[in-house]
Amino acid sequence: MNDAVLVVGAGPTGLSAAHGVASVGRRVVLVEKQDTLGGAPILSGYAKLVPSGEWAKDAIGRMVKRVEDSPLVEIHKGARVTKLGGDAGNFNATLSNGKTVSAGAVILGTGFTHFDAINKPEWGFGTYADVVTTTQVEQMVGAGKIACPSDGRTPERVCILLCVGSRDRQIGREWCSKICCTVSTNLAMEIKELSPETDVYIYYMDIRTFGLYEDKFYWKSQEEFKTKFVKARIAEVTMAPDGKRLLVKGEDTLVKRPIVIPFDLVVHAIGMDPNEDNPEIAKVFGVGLEKHGFIDRDEQYTSTFSSTRRGIYVGGAALAPEDIDTCISHGLAMAMRAVGEMAASRHQRAA
Amino acid sequence: MATYAEMVEIYEDIKSDFRYDHELNGCLNCGICTATCPSAQFYDYSPREIVQLLWTENVEQIYDAMQEKIWACAQCMTCAARCPFKNSPGGLVAIMREVAIKHGMQSAKDVLRPFGRVMLKLITTGNQLSPDMIQPDHFPDWGPNIQKVSGDLKILRKAIPMKTLQTTDTAWEVSLKTSVEMYTIWEMTGVLKQLETMDENLYDVIEDFIEEKREEYADWLEEQEDNKEDA
Repeated sequence: MNDAVLVVGAGPTGLSAAHGVASVGRRVVLVEKQDTLGGAPILSGYAKLVPSGEWAKDAIGRMVKRVEDSPLVEIHKGARVTKLGGDAGNFNATLSNGKTVSAGAVILGTGFTHFDAINKPEWGFGTYADVVTTTQVEQMVGAGKIACPSDGRTPERVCILLCVGSRDRQIGREWCSKICCTVSTNLAMEIKELSPETDVYIYYMDIRTFGLYEDKFYWKSQEEFKTKFVKARIAEVTMAPDGKRLLVKGEDTLVKRPIVIPFDLVVHAIGMDPNEDNPEIAKVFGVGLEKHGFIDRDEQYTSTFSSTRRGIYVGGAALAPEDIDTCISHGLAMAMRAVGEMAASRHQRAA
Repeated sequence: MATYAEMVEIYEDIKSDFRYDHELNGCLNCGICTATCPSAQFYDYSPREIVQLLWTENVEQIYDAMQEKIWACAQCMTCAARCPFKNSPGGLVAIMREVAIKHGMQSAKDVLRPFGRVMLKLITTGNQLSPDMIQPDHFPDWGPNIQKVSGDLKILRKAIPMKTLQTTDTAWEVSLKTSVEMYTIWEMTGVLKQLETMDENLYDVIEDFIEEKREEYADWLEEQEDNKEDA
């Protein structure tokens, strides 16, 4: 019986799980494939987080520091798990850096991959410099300046297209990415803060600012920041004859006519894909994937956060599109599962 | 004007088409179909409206749309390529048009009347165009740009490394056997039945033609048998 827990992935989920396990005095081996800890919020340079409004580098930075400072957490950066042998209670993992790890349980916080907007060519990403993604605008907000990449001008009009890579059977994305509506309304407000002259439009199919995000983000972006919401899915983005502005064609579903509006900057609210490494992860850890390609889970009510393999837990955006706050609670829940299961088998053997 | 019961029957015919469930999955009213629709730019036609009418089973409005709107669709199917639900508004229009024909709706007759000559050629010969007929003067509906393309058609054809005009003479000389097989196909797929509903006079002309060809074919077969016996 090994008392350590192997945590794979050092984003919000993995960092939370690692801390949870260490907080009850168990050892943690944390493996992260990138050279930097923090996951998508840090690696993709997110600006202020929803709903706290804290800068990602501060908020997630504290989570990283807490884990780095813990004497119980052994960290392997730039490393992957290449092999996992053994069973629940007695796993042994081989890492790409040559090290081997013994662990009683495994926690997968392997997260997601941002949708690559080039897969919706009719919306102009990759064709026009001034078509960007929400992560790029997050980086602009982080740098303190909203500008068109083509010539650096401040945009007079910005539109955000929701559901890019979500809710789209044409490209096999039959899921809602859950966070893009809230992130987009948050970005609309941040754009307006940095550039009060800029008008922001959001094109939507539905607005899913779930729970308390309704008034804090959706309503606030309209009432205080004058964001315009147009119920339309865009047909295509083309270049205006002036070679500068982008023409966004949609149906104004309220007046029921096709309408073309020029914009300076078009933002794709990109969704969350299953981690592009999931086929490899499934093979190495011997866990199943669900039909969309996310990692599959066991029965949730009494086998909470179990993968399809005993002793391996999975949570956060590895399971499905998820927001950061929920990922953090998944991490703690998985820590509870892992140490709980190990304690139970120890009692069993003692009896 | 149809009675409500007739309208319901028309709707049931649309809904029971074997393609219906494949073409209509649901609708979020996002409008991407109408935004991308070339016909919606010019006519009082909206693919989203068609989908919504069917989805909400609005039989009166469906009947109304079949009077004029559904005939504005160009069947380019861009709507189907765009819809995030993978609906096919254009495919639904195709079903509605077939049902309009089945029910002998006046709108269908009005739309199809100018195509009588094309229909006659198509059904009797399986063809209605030979390459040398592609002359801009004959097809004003192709618009002004066709002049630019067709201006050097002879030279352009020479650039194609294969024969392009070899069917000019043979286009109308369809083999008897092929013709007869074709008539069977038109018959069995219900095309002739549709034609009868739409244009009885044209149907009679074509029926006579088919009758004649079939007799010719029967004679030819007999001749073959006789030749075999003689030999």
